[in-house]
Amino acid sequence: MKALVPEVRLSLPARAEGVGVVRQALAGVADALVFDAAVLADMKMAVTEACTNVVVHAYDERDEGSLEVEMAADDTGLTIVVRDQGAGMQQGSAGRDAPALGLGLPLIAALSDGFELHGDPGEGTEVRMSFAYERRVDPATANPVQGSIGADGRWDADADQPQV
Amino acid sequence: MDANPIVLDETANDVIVVVVEGEHDIYTAPTLRDRLDEALARGGGVVVDLTAATFVDSSVLGALLDARRRALDAGQGYVVCVGAQVEPGVQRILDVTGLVPVLPVVGGLDEAITAARSASGAPS
Repeated sequence: MKALVPEVRLSLPARAEGVGVVRQALAGVADALVFDAAVLADMKMAVTEACTNVVVHAYDERDEGSLEVEMAADDTGLTIVVRDQGAGMQQGSAGRDAPALGLGLPLIAALSDGFELHGDPGEGTEVRMSFAYERRVDPATANPVQGSIGADGRWDADADQPQV
Repeated sequence: MDANPIVLDETANDVIVVVVEGEHDIYTAPTLRDRLDEALARGGGVVVDLTAATFVDSSVLGALLDARRRALDAGQGYVVCVGAQVEPGVQRILDVTGLVPVLPVVGGLDEAITAARSASGAPS
């Protein structure tokens, strides 16, 4: 039986406390669909990383922008879009607390069944992820996270072992 | 009440256990960094206990890796434990990033405390 799930659109301030709210909303949507626990966990992680990128990279510190999330189910699975209206992926204001590890996009690629990144400088960034009800392959096998922790403490995609 | 607490457990004397419960992401990572700083400042071994954690993201991994580096530099033992029944929201990110042997991650708390104790003071 196919559950009826409305398309969900969220718009909230791009602040750290919003990321958990999006995760809870996703859990609510997924609850009405048939995903196994492993896919649900991957979904929550990928969406968290996408939202974190918006909070950390999309806007400078004076300009509090919005974090926009859309979720829509179809016959094959759930598609989730995370979007900002910022200046495009940049190093930006990551220095507020601590430098970002730089692992967000590799994780999203490894945990989603489909992943697209769109955006041009000045036009915002959109991360589109899809998750299948029935996985044929583990995406982490198809798109493994490459690298390890680099000498500067950030993720280094070329490192074959930890540099520190 | 904090639904996602991070507290220091000092009952193991020379090893401080940073107990992380619930969901943690960029919102609580600064608190985790503060607790890890406090634990490292005691000068002994440090264990991060994720047994009751249900979700950790890359912001949390960043905090755990920074603390690991400082522990290594200072010759302090540093071990993460996850318990016997690990939540997928914790295990998966450790697996796909290959960080289990790096942090390192072990199962039980007792094992982690023993490992952190024996590594403390040893040349890294």
